[in-house]
Amino acid sequence: MTALARTWDRLTLPGRALAILFPLLVLLLIGLIVVIGLFGDTILDILIFNLPIVRFVFAATVLLLLAPPIAFVIIYMEMKVIALMNLRVGPDRVGPWGTLLSTVHGLKVLMKEDFTPTRADPVVFTWAPVVVFATMPLSALVIPFAPGLFGQNFNLGLLYFFAIGGLTVVGLLMGGWASFNKYSLLGGLRSAAQIVSYEIPLTLSVVGLVLLAGTMSLNDIVKQQGVSGWFTDWFAVRQPLGFLIFAIAATAEANRTPFDLTEADSEIVAGFATEYSGMRFGFFFFAEYIGVFVISALTTVLFLGGWNAPFPFPHISWVVDPGSLGIGLLFVVALVPLLGTLLFAAPFYLFRSKTRWWVALIIGFALFNVVAGGLLGLWAYINFDWVAGLFWFLGKTFTLVFVFVWMRGTLPRVRIDQLMGFAWKWLLPASLLNLFITALGVLAVDAWKGA
Amino acid sequence: MSLLPGMVPGLGLVKGMALTLRRFFAPKATIRYPEMPADVATKFRGRLQLLYDENGLLKCETCFQCAQACPIECIDMGGLDTKGRFHVHWGPPETYGERREESALRRSGRAVPDPAYEHFAEFDLGTVDQILELHDHDPKRLLQILEGVQGAFGFLPVAALKRISERTGTWYAMVYGTASYYGHFRFEPPGSKAQAAEVSRRRPSDDTYLASLGASLGGRRS
Repeated sequence: MTALARTWDRLTLPGRALAILFPLLVLLLIGLIVVIGLFGDTILDILIFNLPIVRFVFAATVLLLLAPPIAFVIIYMEMKVIALMNLRVGPDRVGPWGTLLSTVHGLKVLMKEDFTPTRADPVVFTWAPVVVFATMPLSALVIPFAPGLFGQNFNLGLLYFFAIGGLTVVGLLMGGWASFNKYSLLGGLRSAAQIVSYEIPLTLSVVGLVLLAGTMSLNDIVKQQGVSGWFTDWFAVRQPLGFLIFAIAATAEANRTPFDLTEADSEIVAGFATEYSGMRFGFFFFAEYIGVFVISALTTVLFLGGWNAPFPFPHISWVVDPGSLGIGLLFVVALVPLLGTLLFAAPFYLFRSKTRWWVALIIGFALFNVVAGGLLGLWAYINFDWVAGLFWFLGKTFTLVFVFVWMRGTLPRVRIDQLMGFAWKWLLPASLLNLFITALGVLAVDAWKGA
Repeated sequence: MSLLPGMVPGLGLVKGMALTLRRFFAPKATIRYPEMPADVATKFRGRLQLLYDENGLLKCETCFQCAQACPIECIDMGGLDTKGRFHVHWGPPETYGERREESALRRSGRAVPDPAYEHFAEFDLGTVDQILELHDHDPKRLLQILEGVQGAFGFLPVAALKRISERTGTWYAMVYGTASYYGHFRFEPPGSKAQAAEVSRRRPSDDTYLASLGASLGGRRS
């Protein structure tokens, strides 16, 4: 037995996987460098020629990569906020204030066994979570995060969003059907019925808005809400009924309490996800939380002014061009952290005799980071449009996410017949009413202007 | 005509949401145990366990205090051992069996070994005798005797309590009951001098104590 074989025998399973993957990665990297060196110009030409496709693929990849962190943040937020509302402390063990707990949950799910029932349809069973998960980042593709910061600027962005968002139903049905379990099938059918029913008022409530805006491009809709700079331009003010219907239907669409019947574990075990375990279940789980983010983002974009601030700020110009500092920049970068840390540490060390010098240094460093980060953020907010836009957009979106979590901490689940009855008997007529009133209003204003 | 609460649709939702938001900012009920100790009464024992003294003997004197104090009557005593003492039964009858071996050992009259309590220092009971002599072996001056012992040892060893019981002719239960009634006595060696001083400082002055006792008995405050 050679030394190599002995080493191989001693490796654990992850070690073996790494031992295979690492040389493979190096080989691929070398191959990539060689290919770029030989055909770099041709490849670049092809890429530039197909820029829309490249942009699409790049944006989708970025959104897919961003999805898990966003889900982690929202899962942590949900655990913490609901705990605080229950007069508990909530997660506070893993990481600072328990912030890493959702990440640990993700890793735990990754390490669990991936189980497939005996007579399940393995292909459909495997792809269902992928479909459910992929729809969320894909539908987020058209959402404008900030001026100039969006995946694609479709002129039919809203339609695209609803079309891709509707694919979730396919994934749920796939999961329910392929599980070979009657509870799963019932759960899948139930969630499909719910989501399809609520898709109608959701879409119809937006039609009034589209009539007013005259466009389905989400970018243009946001721009129209920022004409005067005041929040009175937001469609939530101009379409209050539409906003209300949209909010309710969006709650049902995102499977959130009080409409979380897809996973009503006291009624139908875990619905379509009964037979899922491990990372496949994790995908469903992540998809739900990313769905919350995406639906909040869409509400923000459509009704709450997207990236626009609620009122116009006095324009401050505070331009510091880092390049103009020349060699001084180097000194600033090298010295300011040191001096700042010492400066912030000094009062703690001098005025509190109990504080040890290294504790004071740590406090000083943390304080310096907070202050410097705040100043840098302020500078970026003033100088870059997209930073300011992103700030307002994320602020509004996460406020809405908080409201979703808040509702989950408060409201009990509705019955399935109440759910369907509410959609068809109340929301649908109300959204039609909203549509007719808006259309009449548009006609009347046109006639007034024409006369 | 006033608007009835049920007439406004969605008012209940708003009320519920307001309630949870108030709870969100309210102080939390959780006690972070390992970092923050729970706020329990000083005399709280918190465990049903027969304890051993420094000689490796069971501390239990079958004084019935525990059985009388137990609010849910889960402590029970029955049967007589060879010394004419009652057995102590903890919990439901099916758990008595666990104690049978220990009980048999106890009845044999030998010391019950317990590794956790083996390494106790010997006590000089002469000091206790001196204190008793000082107070004329008078059971009515039990408090002063106990304070003297605590002053000498820093705490009240079981051997000392037994000696006091023996010499003054009081029941051990009375000695122990008196000692555990006051907050400024301790039964374990103090961790530090500061801790010992802190416990001793809990002793109320005679006037305060008499006033509160009189008030609790419904008498007039003088």
